[in-house]
Amino acid sequence: MRLVRDLGRRKLRTDLTITGIAIGIMALVVFGSMANKMNALIGGGSKYYQDKAIVSVGSMFSGTIQPLALADLDKIRGVEGVAAATPSVDMLLSSDGAAASMGTPEMITGNIPGGDKGLETFRLELSAGRDLTAADATTKVTVLGADLARRLNAKVGDTVTLRGVKFAVVGVWAPTLTAPDKDAYVPLVAAQELFVKSLPPLIQSKVTASEIATGVTVYATKGTDPELLKTRLTALLGGSYTVMTGKDFDALLGSFSAIFTLVLTGVAMLSLLVGGLSTVNTMAMAVAERTREIGIKRAIGASRWRIRREIVFEASAIGLISGLIGLAIGAAMTMLFNDLGRASGNVLFELTLGTAATALIFATVLGGIAGFVPAWHASRLDPVTALRYE
Amino acid sequence: MAILEGRNLRKTYKLGRRNTVEALKGVEISIEKGEMVAIMGPSGSGKSTLMHILGLLHTPDSNHGPAPELYLGGENVADASDNARTKIRARRMGFVFQDFNLVPTLTAIENVMLACEYAGIKGKQAKAAAIEALGLVGLTDWADHKPAELSGGEQQRVSIARALVNKPEIILADEPTGNLDSDRSAEVLALFRQFNREQGQTIVLVTHDSDVGEACDRVIKMRDGRIRDTGLHTTTPVMDVQATAATA
Repeated sequence: MRLVRDLGRRKLRTDLTITGIAIGIMALVVFGSMANKMNALIGGGSKYYQDKAIVSVGSMFSGTIQPLALADLDKIRGVEGVAAATPSVDMLLSSDGAAASMGTPEMITGNIPGGDKGLETFRLELSAGRDLTAADATTKVTVLGADLARRLNAKVGDTVTLRGVKFAVVGVWAPTLTAPDKDAYVPLVAAQELFVKSLPPLIQSKVTASEIATGVTVYATKGTDPELLKTRLTALLGGSYTVMTGKDFDALLGSFSAIFTLVLTGVAMLSLLVGGLSTVNTMAMAVAERTREIGIKRAIGASRWRIRREIVFEASAIGLISGLIGLAIGAAMTMLFNDLGRASGNVLFELTLGTAATALIFATVLGGIAGFVPAWHASRLDPVTALRYE
Repeated sequence: MAILEGRNLRKTYKLGRRNTVEALKGVEISIEKGEMVAIMGPSGSGKSTLMHILGLLHTPDSNHGPAPELYLGGENVADASDNARTKIRARRMGFVFQDFNLVPTLTAIENVMLACEYAGIKGKQAKAAAIEALGLVGLTDWADHKPAELSGGEQQRVSIARALVNKPEIILADEPTGNLDSDRSAEVLALFRQFNREQGQTIVLVTHDSDVGEACDRVIKMRDGRIRDTGLHTTTPVMDVQATAATA
């Protein structure tokens, strides 16, 4: 109680300091949430890739996805160490190719339900409806990712239009915070038809929809190193195919993730440094103003340790209050941005409990540390001199 | 028995590089348990310095001349550590100042409880003691008021309650009536006298005011950093003070 009253004494200065730290904490929360989301995306991808190899033509990340002939599928299945290989057709949901957004683009993913032979370890949970089954093979049904469902405002039982074709929504995935949140899962046949339709007319007449795929997911048998599988597949298929494994994925995006986190944290830390110095100033002024009071307290028997503790506690309280305000504003901002971004499919922030707790603890400790120098100074004051201070 | 006894008490303050002030030039003093003593003298006579040393707020010089001695209840505290001196101030002494020196953000009772807290008494026990002390100075009804809401006389009574609350062995008062009109001064003085008579409280007052001196058992007169008159020719309640006088 006393502490709150002491803070209230120099309202404007305390308010300014609190504002300064709060802005820093807000930056930490917002940027931290952004880093969380990025890391979740990348982590999800890393997990997905860890036990398999993805075969495609060209690079998965070049944006130009070309079909590969299904005839190659049997060759892949024959390779030693391959437990299962299932074709898929992946394409951007938007037909104009404009998919510029942070994170991952919205995709249509066509698979053969059950094609993984139960080997897929990256399992998606349903939040509503059902998964695709073998019975859906030739129908126009879809299971939507959480973000996509929200953007399209679609529920189970609704009909959505994907690249001009109507699909019945039979299920919605629970949020994964990674790529599948923006995917529409459809049966392979439907995806093949959509894919052919998207090709230039000249090429269209030369391909048979049922013979193409954009990628093949290859599952390794137990104990087979995906890297070894990659070597065998590359030897078999030749140079125009890309074989991607978890190691490749991590090499591509893992370092990006680390740098991203570093830069964002750096920006937030910088603003907190400013806030911290501002706390030092506030507390130094508070000590100067209260010199006489410190003299009284020392004279009637307050130990140096007690004087230090009092000032460090007060500075920590400034930190904690700032932290709470910064966290509240930061949380509100991430929610607001997420809501605004949802319409365009850009959900960029993920505020975790860990980030929130870190921000609060950091703000409090920062305040305490900032209070330490003024506290030390206060505790060394001579009580008699301090008593005479005007 | 002397509760407070000092020998070879010297203090030199450094004001600038070459400017030093010899505030105390070797003082010998003895204060008996249960005495109410006034230390009087003109400005610059060293009376405040002496009180700061007796109150363990400052240490006597020990870097020149014969080693200083300061006995509190028979124990030499002349070179006690800062921590030990702080503890003695908190538990065994009470202080009253000219400007009352209350903490402005705290209420009367909180100011009094602060002294309890420093003496290691907490919670209900501290509150009960603070209420009792405020009762003794007649301010029970003002317990929840802040210093700014109290008159000068009332503030000084709060600070007396703060000095009394831990029932210290000795109360040191530095010009306690200096900022009060004569009626309030008389009130404050009567309070001191009452605690001295009823509870045998030892009280040392530093004052300019001869009325205050007259109300005390004994007046120690100081001039130029020395004691000029120990006041021992006046009647004192304690017999063996005469023995001290013989050696003085």
